[in-house]
Amino acid sequence: MNVVYTIKTLLGLAPNCKKVTSFLADYVEGTLPRKVSQQFDEHLGMCKCCGPYFDQYRTTIDLIKEGREVKLPAELVEHTMTFLRNNANLSR
Amino acid sequence: MTETARSKIEGPSLEPDLDALLAGDEKAFERLVTQESPRLFRIVFRILGDEEESQNIIQETFLQAFQRIKTFRRESKFTTWLYAIGINLARGSLRKSKRMTSLSDSDFDRLQPSFSKGMFVETVASWDPLRIAEQTNRHEILHRAIDRLPEDYKTIVILRDIEEHSTEEVAKMLEISGGAVRVRLHRARVALREMLNPHFQYQRQSAE
Ligand SMILES: [Zn+2]
Repeated sequence: MNVVYTIKTLLGLAPNCKKVTSFLADYVEGTLPRKVSQQFDEHLGMCKCCGPYFDQYRTTIDLIKEGREVKLPAELVEHTMTFLRNNANLSR
Repeated sequence: MTETARSKIEGPSLEPDLDALLAGDEKAFERLVTQESPRLFRIVFRILGDEEESQNIIQETFLQAFQRIKTFRRESKFTTWLYAIGINLARGSLRKSKRMTSLSDSDFDRLQPSFSKGMFVETVASWDPLRIAEQTNRHEILHRAIDRLPEDYKTIVILRDIEEHSTEEVAKMLEISGGAVRVRLHRARVALREMLNPHFQYQRQSAE
């Protein structure tokens, strides 16, 4: 990170790493105010830590979302209904 | 069954017939079970990782829904209320079982990054896309990591990132604020990133 930018973060004119990493969820969702989001763009573009950190955060989300399929047990509905008929006082 | 008939029964937009459910009508419960048990099973199974126990939880969920339906206040969607019952049962079962090997709160906290004067204390080494791609068991690694999350964080990852329920819905299911859902989801992702880190970093050439 260049000296000018570091001074800006110290003066509170630009977000520091802690702030950027704390708000990554909102940044990814696009719910940050536009001006803040642009400040984050700038920070992520030049910070040697937050840049890769953000890529990894996003990769992690992608991997979570790829997920694995859950195989439904056969007769899930039937078994549940049998259980209900035996234990709940359903009216026909 | 025609396509329209099927979508009437299984379609996501159908709100259950509350009056019929309140009357304990068997057909109404059958429609509810048909429509909601697959989605609910996926959530419960992801929390527990045990098919038989998950199936028991599903049965118990619908029984409790039947028994407690008069307490449903219509402040949330009926399905949100139903899922809250199932998730609570699943979490209770997870706590009781000795299978839980999750991280302690302090170990979890250690997976969060540390800063000094607002800057990263340690540099962040890049991940190697080739290494990620070549790691055929990367989902295995990830799911082992998810299983190690403290239970409340794990549940939120499952509901938000995997099953893609909205923050508001999840907040209602878990009876916490939307802010708490957002914060925990973020902290969970950060912890997962940290647990994946050693598997995905560029490997140093072994110096001979
Ligand atoms: Zn930074």
